[in-house]
Amino acid sequence: MTIPPTEPGNIVLQARDVRFDWSEVPLHWIPGDPVATHLINVLHLLLPAGEEWFVRVFKEAVPHIRDDRLREDVLGFIGQEAVHASSHDQVLDHFLAQGLDVRPFVRQVEFLFEGLLGDRNLTGTRGQAWLYERISLIAAIEHFTGVLGDWILNATALDEAGAHPTMLDLLRWHGAEEVEHRHVAHDLFMHLDGSYPARLRAMAETITALTALWRRGHRFLMAADPIVQGRIKGGLHHVRRTGAAGLTPGGRMVAASIGRYLRRSYSPLNEGSTSQALAYLASSPAARAALR
Amino acid sequence: MTPSQIPPDLRGRRARDPFWVAASALFNGIQRVRSLRTPVLPPVTPVDRTLTTVVREVRQEAEDVVGLRLAAPDGRALPAWQPGCHLDVRLPSGRRRQYSLCGDPADRRTYRIAVRRLPHGAGGSLEAHALAEGDLLTVSEPRNAFPFLPRDRYLFLAGGIGITPLLPMVQAARRLGADWRLVYTGRTRASLPFLDELPADRVEIRTDDDHGVPDCAELLTRAPAADAAIYCCGPAPMIDGVRAAFAPHGPATLHFERFAPAPVVDGRPFEIELRRRGVTLRVPADRTALDVLTEYDPAVAHSCRQGFCGTCRVGLLAGDADRRHPGDTDPDSLLVCVSRASGGRLVLDM
Ligand code: FES
Ligand SMILES: [Fe+2]
Ligand SMILES: [Fe+2]
Repeated sequence: MTIPPTEPGNIVLQARDVRFDWSEVPLHWIPGDPVATHLINVLHLLLPAGEEWFVRVFKEAVPHIRDDRLREDVLGFIGQEAVHASSHDQVLDHFLAQGLDVRPFVRQVEFLFEGLLGDRNLTGTRGQAWLYERISLIAAIEHFTGVLGDWILNATALDEAGAHPTMLDLLRWHGAEEVEHRHVAHDLFMHLDGSYPARLRAMAETITALTALWRRGHRFLMAADPIVQGRIKGGLHHVRRTGAAGLTPGGRMVAASIGRYLRRSYSPLNEGSTSQALAYLASSPAARAALR
Repeated sequence: MTPSQIPPDLRGRRARDPFWVAASALFNGIQRVRSLRTPVLPPVTPVDRTLTTVVREVRQEAEDVVGLRLAAPDGRALPAWQPGCHLDVRLPSGRRRQYSLCGDPADRRTYRIAVRRLPHGAGGSLEAHALAEGDLLTVSEPRNAFPFLPRDRYLFLAGGIGITPLLPMVQAARRLGADWRLVYTGRTRASLPFLDELPADRVEIRTDDDHGVPDCAELLTRAPAADAAIYCCGPAPMIDGVRAAFAPHGPATLHFERFAPAPVVDGRPFEIELRRRGVTLRVPADRTALDVLTEYDPAVAHSCRQGFCGTCRVGLLAGDADRRHPGDTDPDSLLVCVSRASGGRLVLDM
């Protein structure tokens, strides 16, 4: 790929010490659209445990890296993901304060990341193979976080629908950092393992797991929402409407990005724009406040 | 109940959710089948990110400032860079210093850096000033902690040697056809490098001997429009002053290089014992435990170095901690990037 002269490269990744004030954010932060609100809210349920798992796995990977620059990138990535996890965790507290008890679902997500995808008490070569396998999964998941990050930065329909600015800033700050560090997990996997079949397997597992979790998460939120009270049943069929309206990512867009991931020549740098992400971070209220 | 046990269902009706019973059976089954074969791991190919360069030209750019042009010994093309990039330079003594690239990114065969002599510094600048044409210098690939973004209007604020990263930005802004201004401050005119490379019409030179010490709020008024991107580089008090004077909610954006964390204040030396590794390291008064740890082992996990990301948290087995971040409250662990010992020795679980 040729990078346009204005596209910054070689970026040093650094975590930003952001803070958000949730007190004014309503439960249905896309006004009048609990269905779309909760389709995005599933992210808040998955991310704290998921990103803490990224951090644990990547910390374990650092001693295996034989490339100073990649080590720097991975360390920067770890700090960014750690701050993402704690920021989304605060949203969960806010849900609880508004009468939306998400703990049963969060408990299940923790089982996935700490149980099924945990240490498995493996040592030696088997332990290292399990480490590489988890890195392949993280690389596949990071493909989606990068694509979603690019989507949210361009999701003008959310502004038009009156989505709450604090929530939009959280999602866009996070999305922008996802775009900023989108190459790191793939680079790490390619450095340590690089097997194409492993990438395919990881993508297949990731698609299966994310689809099931999103569907279950949305059905759970719609049922647990104290205002909706189960009157609307959740599920991924809603994406046909919300995706077309630009309020959530659409199925086609995600499918096309998977097609690109499956090519041997895939490069995360071709997804999204670093300069757009950095421009957002320069104007994001939370990221700006972190500079002071 | 631990997170590794199958969780109850979402309505609290069953102790083990059938979905997760099935998912675990499937996933554990796959893992079991795969573990029948002993894994063969590919060897990791080390990647060397250092470049050996030769000093092609040494030029006095101002009082106390030398410009160095570096090239590959065989004249080969060097890795590409963008405005805002710096090099990590390994000086002959082994000291490492970061210098902004201040040449032309389109020139793929030479890198240019400029160094001001700091007679009272740690000695890195004196070493750089002692370099002569033909000397070899090991540098890293270019890295960017000060990215330049395409915008329509810019205000560049340079303080002395802080002009170096801004010089390629000014050229890029010209090429973009943007509306830009540069305010270039310093002690005296003779101390300012690269004046001859700047177009006079958009540049304001503001030296202390003629105008007194600059007022940062006033510098910000030089922006060509309210929505300008402000790129500032200079001594720490200047950057702090501009940050304080900048209105954070307006349409303008402020960009500066995010430097290494603030220096240790009121530090006392102490020791850290790494229990599992059986090593004890000394932490001097002016360094953090993390500095010492990463020097000992670069793979020690860390990230922000400022106490907010939590990555460097290590188990604390014994010792009295001097906690230096509001987030460092757990009595059984320590954020080694900021917190210290209140005296004596800390025993760490690593
Ligand atoms: S490195 Fe981020 S808290 Fe210490
Ligand atoms: Fe993230
Ligand atoms: Fe990420």
